[in-house]
Amino acid sequence: MTQSSAEQLSGKVALVTGGARGIGLGIATVLAERGADVAICDLAQSACDEAVSDLGAAGYTILGTAADVADRDSMNRAVSNVITALGQIDILVANAGVWASDGFEDRPEYNDADWDITHSVNVRGVVHSAEAVIPHMKERGGGKIVNIASHGGRKPRGTATGRTLGLPYSVSKAGVIQWTHGLAIELAPFNINVNAVCPGELWTNMIEGIYTNRQNVTDGGSGGSVRDEYDESMRNTVPLGRGQTPRDIGHAVAFLSSDDAAEVTGQALNVNGGARMN
Amino acid sequence: MTDATNLDGAVTLITGAGRGIGQGIAEVLSERGAVIALSDLDADRAVVAADAIKVNGGNAFPFGGDTTIQESMDGLAAAVVEEFGRIDILVCNAGVIGAPGYQDRVDHTEEDWDATFGVNVKGFVHTANAVAPHMQERNAGRVINIASHGGRKPRGAKAVLGNVQAPYSVSKAAVIQWTHLLAIELAPNNITVNAVCPGTLWTPMWEAIAENRKTADPELAEFSGREVFEQSIRDRMPMGREQTPRDIGKAVAFLASDDASEITGQALNVNGGAVMN
Repeated sequence: MTQSSAEQLSGKVALVTGGARGIGLGIATVLAERGADVAICDLAQSACDEAVSDLGAAGYTILGTAADVADRDSMNRAVSNVITALGQIDILVANAGVWASDGFEDRPEYNDADWDITHSVNVRGVVHSAEAVIPHMKERGGGKIVNIASHGGRKPRGTATGRTLGLPYSVSKAGVIQWTHGLAIELAPFNINVNAVCPGELWTNMIEGIYTNRQNVTDGGSGGSVRDEYDESMRNTVPLGRGQTPRDIGHAVAFLSSDDAAEVTGQALNVNGGARMN
Repeated sequence: MTDATNLDGAVTLITGAGRGIGQGIAEVLSERGAVIALSDLDADRAVVAADAIKVNGGNAFPFGGDTTIQESMDGLAAAVVEEFGRIDILVCNAGVIGAPGYQDRVDHTEEDWDATFGVNVKGFVHTANAVAPHMQERNAGRVINIASHGGRKPRGAKAVLGNVQAPYSVSKAAVIQWTHLLAIELAPNNITVNAVCPGTLWTPMWEAIAENRKTADPELAEFSGREVFEQSIRDRMPMGREQTPRDIGKAVAFLASDDASEITGQALNVNGGAVMN
């Protein structure tokens, strides 16, 4: 009766948006290790090709296709490409996201461009991705959608920081959580589970930008490197005392995408070392 | 390394594992390679449940134990450590819906508050108190508390069924808060603490709930308990299905494995989407 980990998702096909780097690449890697055939999409074909080459070298079946989640037609084309190439999509991981618009590293406050880009990528992108696969999943009689939100989309705690820059991002991620709840109800009659994973702080390009911003807009900081500030913050703000990794997020996605989670839907699961609790 | 599919000999203590949800958790974890210390207030029931796992090729060992008594849990933890050398995973599951006679009451009594808090809250505290020091010594461990989606915020306007279930729901909300606080307490020792919140399962507990609803609502008198249960599923479950003890076991297996090493202080509903968090 005991499965092996490579059987957890065997026979499944997964599509991971924003899968060429950061959290998305970690998710794609874990899903492949757990037996799924994995397609990734990302803005640049060159980034897709690099990830496909790396994972392909490890022996995994993987397909990369350039797509912009903020563009509905682009996402529809990507999904159609994946279905043509791999035959089906059982699992959608809507992961592609942005923190703020270009040049945010030097600003303490948000601007209109931040609201536009976080909404169009983090919210509408997740919607476009789901809408592109839903007809296919309905036709197949089931599926799994896992949205990557953020624990920043949960209720905030603490006192004023003098920086509002992160608000559009947090609001967009709260939107992803509510989208997850609502879509779960809509798709439950079709045997499609919809859940969210809320990562904490991971050392990715996004977090490096966020900590660079903190150093740039606040006085001095500790005087250490951006990475030192991040590590210090993890020790001080995370009960388990460490940041998470893209693979940690992948493990949670693998569970929610597996038959083991057939009765889990509409939920948002924090993977954040206990930094916020729900 | 363990993962959701393979717990690789992890020594797992489960309370209230003689039947219902606890038994389902024991089955699933055993199939995934855990060694099960199977505890129940009714030691005979623990023996029967352990034998059933052994027949299927699993490793399960029965223990008696009363979670409402700290000394009993201390003795249980010591016995398990003596036998297996360690406890890797603790599943606090033993729970009650109310005091005896619950089925026949519309409103709660003092005894319902005492029973639910004695077992569902203090029972979990006693069990954690007994096991945590062993885990702290080894700087590793997993604690999983079985709460309920009834411990989340209520929904809806109808309260025609009386308030007899309030003590249970309040106690399960307390389990969730206990999970949050214990997670912070034990994080420095690399011990994660999470809760699973089951939805609606056809177990001896729900048989009692169905009887109680028939007591409260004369219109339900003609229905069997199982029919009352199925109506509740149709009314409340987006996925339209009941959950099973094995569904809860599968979520526990994930949270107990290295796949969940960065998850702590969280409560996960396994309830077909009936309540969302």
